[in-house]
Amino acid sequence: MTAQMFFIGFFGLAGVWFGIVVFRTYSMVRSALALLFSQTALGAMFLSMQAEFLGVLQIMMMATEMSIMAIFMVMFMMDPGGLGTMDMTHQKRLSLITGFVSFVAAVAVAVFVDWGPVATTFPDAAQQTVDLGLELLNRSMLIFEMAGVTILTAMIAATAVAIQPLKRGKEK
Amino acid sequence: MSPELIIALISGAALFGVGIYGALSQTNLVMIMMGVELILAGAMVNLVAFWRYLHPDNPAGQMFVLIIMTVMAIEMAVGFGVAIARFRAKGSVEMEEATELKG
Repeated sequence: MTAQMFFIGFFGLAGVWFGIVVFRTYSMVRSALALLFSQTALGAMFLSMQAEFLGVLQIMMMATEMSIMAIFMVMFMMDPGGLGTMDMTHQKRLSLITGFVSFVAAVAVAVFVDWGPVATTFPDAAQQTVDLGLELLNRSMLIFEMAGVTILTAMIAATAVAIQPLKRGKEK
Repeated sequence: MSPELIIALISGAALFGVGIYGALSQTNLVMIMMGVELILAGAMVNLVAFWRYLHPDNPAGQMFVLIIMTVMAIEMAVGFGVAIARFRAKGSVEMEEATELKG
């Protein structure tokens, strides 16, 4: 077993374990933190796979995203600390079966499909970033621009939906 | 076949399964969004593994990962917008109570 294989397995296991913890704890803050740890473990897994840029990006992005999520959890939940052990699940059996069947189907595809030859050469971190930068500004520029515009649209839409509705006809 | 690729794909499959369970079993909107985040994370792990072990010379694989990250951010932004609107209107983000559109 190589060191790379060990670390990919270790961080993959950590990501999955923290993903399970998200739905096992009664505390919503702990749920958000578990999701943060899960996503960070995946970032570390990317680093183990020598995808340095994507690994660092994943860790930075998810750290901020999950911190915001934790704040929303505290704002919206009736029992954010999980002191009352309130059950917030439904159709548990069906969900468990569906989740398990999806997992088994995905594993079967991963194991039984012939993915072709494994690449023997691999660009270093600096070359990866250069290649990605050129890809973003050449062939995939339209897709990249569309992603940016879509985020902007989503931000405007989210603000429009969330904004306090005007009370029409009310005298000031 | 590379064992590293298989380990990464199995991790992605497990995240996908856990995410499906979470998205289907939770009654709270924010928790459902967490399930969807895990599903997308599973897809992202697979994309990175495929790029790294099968086509590292083609940066389009990394581009796909950036698109998934964008989708995650959009899902969060729109989801929280809907959650705020729902909380203002009904005082709760429990999806079992959201039956207004039921036929």
